[in-house]
Amino acid sequence: MDQKSLWNRISDGLGIIGFTPLGLVLLIVLALLPFVSPFNQEHILRWLIMGAFLAAQCVAFDFTAGYINVVNFGFAAILGAGAYTSAVLANTSPVISVQPGLSPWIGIWIGALFAGLIGFGVGILTLRLRGIFAAVMAWFVGIALLGVANNLTNITRGPMGMAPRTFLETTSNRPYFYIILAMMLIVYITLRLVVRSRFGLAFKAIGQNFDAARASGINPTLYRVFNFTLSAFFAGWLGGFYAHYFGSLTPQTLMHTSKTVEVLALAYIGGRGSLWGGMAIAFPFVFGIEALRSNLTDLPGLHLVIYGVLMIAIMVYYPAGFAGFYAWAKDKLSGLLARARGQAQPIEAP
Amino acid sequence: MERTVIERSFQDRLSIFLRGNLPAVVVIGFSIVLAIFIAIETGPSQIANIIVTGGMWALLAAGLALVFGVMNIPHFAHGESFMVGAYVGYFVFTPISNYLKDNPNAVLSFIAPVVGVIAAAIVGAIMGAVIERLVFAPLRKRTRAGWVMNTFLLTVGLSFVLVYGTTLIIGPNFRGIPRYYDVPPIDFLGMRVAVDRIFAFVIAIITIAALTYFMQKTRTGRAIRAVSQDETGAQLVGINLGFIHTLTFALATAMAAMAGAALLFMFQAYPTVGLKPLYLSWYVVMMVGLGNVYGAIIGGFIVALLQTATQQFFGISWDLVVPTALMILILILVPSGIFGSEVKGIQEQ
Repeated sequence: MDQKSLWNRISDGLGIIGFTPLGLVLLIVLALLPFVSPFNQEHILRWLIMGAFLAAQCVAFDFTAGYINVVNFGFAAILGAGAYTSAVLANTSPVISVQPGLSPWIGIWIGALFAGLIGFGVGILTLRLRGIFAAVMAWFVGIALLGVANNLTNITRGPMGMAPRTFLETTSNRPYFYIILAMMLIVYITLRLVVRSRFGLAFKAIGQNFDAARASGINPTLYRVFNFTLSAFFAGWLGGFYAHYFGSLTPQTLMHTSKTVEVLALAYIGGRGSLWGGMAIAFPFVFGIEALRSNLTDLPGLHLVIYGVLMIAIMVYYPAGFAGFYAWAKDKLSGLLARARGQAQPIEAP
Repeated sequence: MERTVIERSFQDRLSIFLRGNLPAVVVIGFSIVLAIFIAIETGPSQIANIIVTGGMWALLAAGLALVFGVMNIPHFAHGESFMVGAYVGYFVFTPISNYLKDNPNAVLSFIAPVVGVIAAAIVGAIMGAVIERLVFAPLRKRTRAGWVMNTFLLTVGLSFVLVYGTTLIIGPNFRGIPRYYDVPPIDFLGMRVAVDRIFAFVIAIITIAALTYFMQKTRTGRAIRAVSQDETGAQLVGINLGFIHTLTFALATAMAAMAGAALLFMFQAYPTVGLKPLYLSWYVVMMVGLGNVYGAIIGGFIVALLQTATQQFFGISWDLVVPTALMILILILVPSGIFGSEVKGIQEQ
């Protein structure tokens, strides 16, 4: 009896930061993967890093799309703004006109703050707009940011791309994997704590019915701007990681609308409004797709077609996504277990 | 009983009109001033250029506005219809032009581009109808909740599938033609205009005129307008909603495909060619008000003007940034567009 309550207490405690015992086990397995045979190769480690990077983006994206119901179409551009800020601040080479030479570890925070500022701006701009208008506004802001990054050639080198300093001197991918894993956890746990508080309720209320939420005393301005700012802050932070991990930046590969769509597709396939769905699905997804891409090199772009088809299929036929499927399966399973126990008991009892 | 007629002076009526349509008056006035300035600064050839590309953006944006007005779908894959049209134009025109090299034929070389554009329209219409049946009809059957946002994201997925599907099947190479008509440019009122551009403009004008006639005068066109005004009411008087939706989508896709084929000499055909036309036609519909078809035709010319002005005064690499900034401004000041939108219920969804 005592043991059971301890178990309950642990599982409740995990619930606060958004984990089930199963989720925690999977996370520990994930953290140990770089030491296990097929995963300790450098190129597979890169896939893992890509997976964690996309997973963290999904969480930050879903925080806006799944809660206040505004699809931030400029997400990738905001992430790119953070990446560029951090990369330019860390620059020491003479190929661009400024060399502040700041440590990347400080730079990514400044990049994140700058991205948060842009998010704040987008939040203000989209205040009067709803649904599709807000999405299109964010999209336009994204196009403008991409254009600006392309044109400020004296600090970004425009389409030629720049080569930011990396975090570490090492060429091993393992430390980077733990950095991005920690960043992913920080993003997830922070946003989970926010949506568990009364902020989360307010977000959901605004997302479901704007006018009713306002009528019941929720200040939509405050919550929407706050939501945008926080989501953009984390996007910029993750952008900083991208800049200082890959060591190469071009506006087109980072800030383009199609990058937002990749994140959006993953977040929707994972189940919108769940935060964890996109994160959980990102790893197997990236693995499947990278395996496909490395085996079928003569079919470029196949993985993006799969993204698109899956997204359409999910939206038309199964809008709850993976998180919805998980909830359904869990329900079904516990129902079956209860029935099995109910049938078993009369036989066992003497 | 005597009827009283309120006499208003011309000035009164003018001022009422101006006050009621302030955003439109400001934007159009500004555009005219800008156009005159460009004409003085760089000569009338630029104006001819604006009118030609404006006609094409009008064609694209009208399709976008039609789809939104009738079906409430914010079509993100509209640029991909343009792309498909460009490919069809290329694959139809190139064999004909190769054949013409060996055996010249004046009549055939005159109609070859027209054949390309018509083929693009037919393929576009079929593609539009198939997409509507496969994607939007099932979703409509399942739920109408959050329709605008869901269909927007659906078309985003569709755009991905079409772009990268094309890359997979045809490859990422650029396929272009040097020109449609191998004749020297024509001098017209002091402007030197390439015949290809005149061809594209004539296609745009004929299509827009045909669309207007179709929407205003035919039974089916009236049914489409009825559906855009009130879906339930239209259903009550016996209009087949499913057919109207499929027809509208096919029509819009065909128009975009025609634009793609007609502009092949400017854009070439490659998988992501639709991106810029997509941006520009979205600027148009956001500026004039979502779903406003006739506004979109005027808006096409205004956006072409803005684009040319930006290239003239800021340089070619800024040609998306400055118009985008202006569109953001318009979206802040008049979210329903300068001509106003008659589509109900978008704000709520």
